[in-house]
Amino acid sequence: MSVAYAPIVRALGSETALVLVALAVLTLDFIIGRKREVAKRRELVGAVALFGLALSAVPLVGQVGMTNVLLPGETLVVNPLVIIFKFVLIVLTAVTVLISIDHDIGTHVGEYFAMLLFGAIGMLLLVGTEEFLTIFVALELTSISLYVLTAFHKNSLRSQEAALKYFLFGAIATAFLLFGLSYIYGLTGATNLRDIGAALAKKGTDPLLGVGLLCVLVGLGFKVAMVPFHLWAPDAYEGAPTPVTAFIATGSKVASFFVLVKVLMVAFAGAVGSAYWGAFESGWAMVLGLTATASMVLGNCAAIVQRNVKRLLAYSSIAHAGYILVGLVAASSTGATAVLFYVIVYAITNLGAFGVVAALASRAGGDDLEHFNGMAKRAPFLSLLMLVFVLSLAGIPPLGGFFGKFYLFAAAVECDAEMFGLLWLVALGIVMSAVSLYYYLVLMKHMYVLPAKDETRIATPGHLKMALAFCAAGVVLLGVFPEPILALLKALVVRL
Amino acid sequence: MDVCGVSNFNVFPCVNDPYLTQYLFVAVFVLVAVLFPLVPLALVRVLAPRKPSPTKNATYECGLVSKGDSWIQFRAGYYLYALVYVIFAVETIFLYPWAVAFGGLSFGAFVAMMVFVLLLVEGLVYAWAKGALDWK
Repeated sequence: MSVAYAPIVRALGSETALVLVALAVLTLDFIIGRKREVAKRRELVGAVALFGLALSAVPLVGQVGMTNVLLPGETLVVNPLVIIFKFVLIVLTAVTVLISIDHDIGTHVGEYFAMLLFGAIGMLLLVGTEEFLTIFVALELTSISLYVLTAFHKNSLRSQEAALKYFLFGAIATAFLLFGLSYIYGLTGATNLRDIGAALAKKGTDPLLGVGLLCVLVGLGFKVAMVPFHLWAPDAYEGAPTPVTAFIATGSKVASFFVLVKVLMVAFAGAVGSAYWGAFESGWAMVLGLTATASMVLGNCAAIVQRNVKRLLAYSSIAHAGYILVGLVAASSTGATAVLFYVIVYAITNLGAFGVVAALASRAGGDDLEHFNGMAKRAPFLSLLMLVFVLSLAGIPPLGGFFGKFYLFAAAVECDAEMFGLLWLVALGIVMSAVSLYYYLVLMKHMYVLPAKDETRIATPGHLKMALAFCAAGVVLLGVFPEPILALLKALVVRL
Repeated sequence: MDVCGVSNFNVFPCVNDPYLTQYLFVAVFVLVAVLFPLVPLALVRVLAPRKPSPTKNATYECGLVSKGDSWIQFRAGYYLYALVYVIFAVETIFLYPWAVAFGGLSFGAFVAMMVFVLLLVEGLVYAWAKGALDWK
């Protein structure tokens, strides 16, 4: 059997560049390490990582012309939708690197940035494949990098505990995923999504499909932190170094939701079922309808009582997973478009929010709500950015979060034009958004209204401000001009 | 690609399905697997005479009495060697079939394997240079 290597190398351009840069980063820090102070090393190594990320975006430009290139078995896929998401992931990683440069991540600087890049490689692979085994390997690469990164505060018991919880939950979820995949393979004899979809369409009824599908949903549900597989999220988010939290909450979520949409809409298109009120039918739409309900209710209600900002944002991200699932339950191309659009908006917003927390918490002495008292006077620019991010998360027009949520709910309503079967889910989503406004505004109250104990100004480096301002600009732009990217996504999703 | 409201599966299938009856064996097997350990345990409860003594409750009935606490610290340095060993193990697993089929492989396959070996060697060199192989 002869394999053509040229198209593989071409399709893997970004990943190859990142692997080389990750190894270069390790070597560089090893050579310059020990002689210089940690902050200097972070700057140097971080700059190399940033350069590498910029470099890895170059092959994507060369792939733009490739409309739908499938390598044998669809282990690697290049099409415009994949290219867009790879680009988004590279940008998210770059902002994470910028946040990390300014953050205390211990003395193992080279390892930190290398793991970050390895995680990014896993995400790029995850987005660029339509085959279950490659999805599994990519998911593992991402997860293992993130477990290690979560434990990076070596001397913090919290960080260790968070990593252990994340790892144990992750390992069990992975076992479920693999077990489910084995059933799906047994039923269909295929591992790539399209063949599975075709085989299932012929096969029809089978209870084993139910078991397989459910196990796959457990595995991917863990990655997107939907209730009831969310238990790791608050602890991992709180214990991990904040830039890592930002990466888990954004990059890994974007890639996981992208895969979830692809798996459900392509491979399991025949097992949709229905979550229409009064007409429940077993299938993934029904399961996701129920988990979306649970995620929205639990995420929002639990966020109200949180005193720690990172924990609050963790519960808010569980709630957001619920909103996003509403779009998936619609099981239409409009729904899938809305999901992909919202995931991008949500990732940029959340990355910004965690970035502000990372920048301020280390200088204010902690990340409880009390530490953020009077921030508007101490760090006016970052507080303003936080206001933008938080309002976008709450879904206030004209920010990106509002339109993203609007499209999600519109897709759910539109899905059943006669009976509005998903109206119950949409109504719940809107009520829960109102609930979420409360805790987002509590955070704003601490930053803008309550007086600070210590009124000294907090100085933050320029590159950090620029990165976060870039995120805020993205949130505003996606809110004011959502049409171009939405139309683009829509055109690409229909061809999925 | 709209799949709105489509469903072709049902969790309550007809049991007459010949495909499903094959799983009846699995069900019977599971039942036996559960009963097999449970029945002797229940029988012991009914039949055996009871003479409890402190020796019978000891962790090792016929060993030395354990001293001190089991929550002690021990060296974790060994795991580094184990990890580095994994590099060689993985390398062998992939190199062996590659070497067997070497005659029929293209130049691309040779380069691909060299890249793979180099990646593993880089890991080993890094660990070595970092001092992971020095027993302290």
